[in-house]
Amino acid sequence: MGKHFKYFFFSFILMNVQTYISQLISLRDISPDLLLIWLVYIAIKEGQMTGTIWGFVIGLMFDLSSGSFTGLSAMSKTIAGFTAGYFFDENRAPLTLGSYRYVLIVLFVSLIHNTVYFIILTRGSDIGLLKATFQIGLATNFYTSAVALLPMFVFGRKYIS
Amino acid sequence: MLSTQSSKLYMQRLVDILLTFKEYVVLTFLIVVSIILLNSNDNSQIRAIRSYTVGFVGATQDFISVVPNVFALKRENEILRQLSVNLSDEVNRLREARLENMRLREIIGLKERTTFKLVAGDIVGKNTHLLRNTITVNIGEADGVKPDMAIISEHGLVGKIIAASDHYSVGQIMFNKDFRASAKIQRNRVDGIVSWSGGEIVNLENISLMQDIKEGDVITTSEYSTIFPPDVKIGHVTKVSEQPGSLFKNIEVTPGVEFSSLEQVFVVIASVDSERVALEKKVARKK
Repeated sequence: MGKHFKYFFFSFILMNVQTYISQLISLRDISPDLLLIWLVYIAIKEGQMTGTIWGFVIGLMFDLSSGSFTGLSAMSKTIAGFTAGYFFDENRAPLTLGSYRYVLIVLFVSLIHNTVYFIILTRGSDIGLLKATFQIGLATNFYTSAVALLPMFVFGRKYIS
Repeated sequence: MLSTQSSKLYMQRLVDILLTFKEYVVLTFLIVVSIILLNSNDNSQIRAIRSYTVGFVGATQDFISVVPNVFALKRENEILRQLSVNLSDEVNRLREARLENMRLREIIGLKERTTFKLVAGDIVGKNTHLLRNTITVNIGEADGVKPDMAIISEHGLVGKIIAASDHYSVGQIMFNKDFRASAKIQRNRVDGIVSWSGGEIVNLENISLMQDIKEGDVITTSEYSTIFPPDVKIGHVTKVSEQPGSLFKNIEVTPGVEFSSLEQVFVVIASVDSERVALEKKVARKK
């Protein structure tokens, strides 16, 4: 129970940080998806089921706070949590989190997440799916993966050394 | 007896299958819930939950935003000083023009235009992540703010309110896939609709090939909208092109508002003209 409260608390803090820092560190309106980095961490540490459920919870929290498209992030982050859960290995979790594998998983999951997200978002609008996926989606994927290096170093020091 | 046993057996097998594939069952269930949520965005219960969340998250963002951004403050100071000089000059000229306008309207018997009440608010959160493009403002229902009210700044139209709690509200900016506004070209009063299709420009749609549109033309809101007050600047035309086979021009408009540096906004406190809306609905039903 305490563990899930911790996940909720950090998710809430990160959601606000995401909104606030996007003004400070965004590059041409591209900002890293901190919630996705956090979700991949949960899924690698706890497994597919927990990753899927927390993906939904984190996505829904983000949807409700942004005031529109309720269900969009909930769905894309559910799928992201489920995908990240495939890389769960109880015995190797600390190793995965502290190595470049974590960054690669974030990159892969981010790719899946953004593709699902833009398929739904661009439906019935003038925004081109390919343009959104390649221009904004890919840039966000790489930015998110680059930022995932920071927790990777922290986990590396904490778990491996 | 046999059928009860076999049904129990089937149930047991079903439970076993569900447990074996529990991750997939949970995934399917949550995706179905997400789809239901996506299809019920205008549902009153969803709106109420959203309103509570906006209040809670808005208060947290307000707290975080006290961390000063020194560089932004310095730049803003310089801009404001320059703006203040320009505006005082413009106010003098507008005062003269208003008096003249009042005299002329009186001569031809037109009604005085309504002036709107504005409520100022600070942007405490910007959500530009993955094209969501919304802002959180620290004014809410307690200040008279309601969904579907226009948001403007000194440079022109910003967007509209989409959710409000007691002390916070979320606004949809022009760079949002759901944004639409009735607009007109200030020079020749030609009407169109402004929408966004990605990037840092908006498009003016439904302008026929016959119309005379030039780069640099100023686009303002038109009188046809029930949300946006008329004559608020939207931006200026930066590109006009024609597509073979299309009856309309492709017009790109650069907004007057610089969204990346936007920090303060005004919400136009105006109630919807219910008589006008009712009449328009009635006519639409008859059609």
